[in-house]
Amino acid sequence: MTDKTVNSDVNQWFAHNQGLVDILPEKVVVEPYRILKGMGMQPADADDYLLDLISNEMEACKKKLMPEAAFNVHFSHQFSPGKYHIKLDEITFKTSKIVYSFLKKSTYLVLFSCTCGPAIENYSRELMKEGNSLEGLIVDLIGSEMAEWITEEVHLFIEKAMEQFGWGVSNRYSPGYCNWPVSEQHKLFALLGENNCGIKLTPTSLMLPIKSVSGMLGIGPGLKRLAYKCNICDDKNCIMRGK
Amino acid sequence: MNSEELLAKLSECVEFGKVNKNAPFPPAMKGMDGADELTAQALEMGVDPVDILNNALIGAMDKVGEKFSQKKIFVPQMLISAKAMNAAMEHLKPYFQSGQVKRKGKFIIGTVAGDLHDIGKNLVAMIVEGAGWEVIDLGVDVNAAKFMQAIDTNPEAVVGLSALLTTTMASMKNIVAEIKGKYPEVKLIVGGAPVTEAFKTEIGADGYSDDPQGAVSYLNALVA
Ligand code: B1M
Repeated sequence: MTDKTVNSDVNQWFAHNQGLVDILPEKVVVEPYRILKGMGMQPADADDYLLDLISNEMEACKKKLMPEAAFNVHFSHQFSPGKYHIKLDEITFKTSKIVYSFLKKSTYLVLFSCTCGPAIENYSRELMKEGNSLEGLIVDLIGSEMAEWITEEVHLFIEKAMEQFGWGVSNRYSPGYCNWPVSEQHKLFALLGENNCGIKLTPTSLMLPIKSVSGMLGIGPGLKRLAYKCNICDDKNCIMRGK
Repeated sequence: MNSEELLAKLSECVEFGKVNKNAPFPPAMKGMDGADELTAQALEMGVDPVDILNNALIGAMDKVGEKFSQKKIFVPQMLISAKAMNAAMEHLKPYFQSGQVKRKGKFIIGTVAGDLHDIGKNLVAMIVEGAGWEVIDLGVDVNAAKFMQAIDTNPEAVVGLSALLTTTMASMKNIVAEIKGKYPEVKLIVGGAPVTEAFKTEIGADGYSDDPQGAVSYLNALVA
């Protein structure tokens, strides 16, 4: 198969598949150890009382989860080395050294948005207001993990689909990660168009519902997901540095 | 039980997180009276509410804070203790309203403009409240105007700012400058994963902590 045929197969795949991704709430998996980790604990530190609480709240959250995830592909792009700019259609993203270096070999770029919907964070707030802070915190952590799980699911969905064409996917990046300014979120949502999962942006570029994740990933032959490269990042304050 | 024994028992309930008789936690205290019942009993017995607060509740929360700092207990135990403390505080409400019992002070807290990460900020708020402070939580994405509005109505309050995104550290710097410009005497403490002691000094804040207990120690030192 020539490069051209592959590209056109990929185009066709996106023509049929881009838009909403089916995420079934009952399929969402959050490992209890992730919640314990969010509270600074190891599995061995937890007693049965806490584990039961986590498992009960997990069930409650699954009932409240209204997952939505969507993506679209952008075939037309231009990379400006040195400036770390990526122009997609008519919009120029001012990314960062790291984000640029992981995306620059992409044949196409894919934008995505994912959300848990508002019910989980509202439930967490209610619990806290009633004085049930531990339950509220657990629900908040579960919501965050679910948002990440949904995002990973979209990433895997695209990765698996690309395999059939001999293509791979890059790491995914979100405005706010690795020194890519969070204010670029407005540009991302302009290009996502109707694939925004109903997420609204605040004037300060944050997403509502809070339990949402947005971002960009690259696809193309030879692309792989790689470890984050903190050593070349210039964000000395980043909390993920060296993790 | 005499009043001393009662206060000791109450203190134990807060330290180990026994909220009320029906509470299943901690299993070793199942079926026993909790902070809720014991505070009511102490008041009925005529114990001074100031003694209940200072000798039983705050002392217990200090121990909890210490154990947390030494990593002997974790966030969940700390929050359960705070809940037991709050159950006791409900009974003291009328005395707070009458002015007979006073909290240590007021603490305004918010996640700074441009940031919606609030798990850490919420933890700090809960733990500071448990340590005997009145907490005014402004929520997330809070700009300088909103902080200053809260300071206008609570000029004696200490203000806490939290940030999780490195991009919002700039926002923290601006907010600190604006608050200090208008209220130079207001004490500001900053925190959040990317924030450091050096950054605190650079932006002219007064305090920094990398965990909730450090925030409590800073606040307590101000009123000691
Ligand atoms: C006043 O005095 C004080 C004193 C002490 C104080 C204090 C104040 N405030 C805090 N402390 C201290 O005490 C607390 C208890 O010990 C501590 O608080 P912390 O807040 O540090 O710790 C908490 C207890 C636990 N830690 C946390 O809650 C943060 C964990 C991580 C995984 C995280 C989470 C959970 C989330 N996120 Co976000 N998220 C990440 C984080 C990566 C990581 N592994 O750390 C980070 C912070 N996120 C990031 C980003 C960019 C984003 N996130 C986003 C989304 C989310 C979730 C929804 C999935 C969830 C939000 C949860 C929430 N309600 O806050 C997005 C924004 C969401 C929106 N709605 O707009 C988005 C903007 C990405 C996007 N474009 O989609 C990154 C920031 C990068 C950077 N260097 O700036 C990030 C490091 C992840 C990464 N992989 O790079 C101390 O710092």
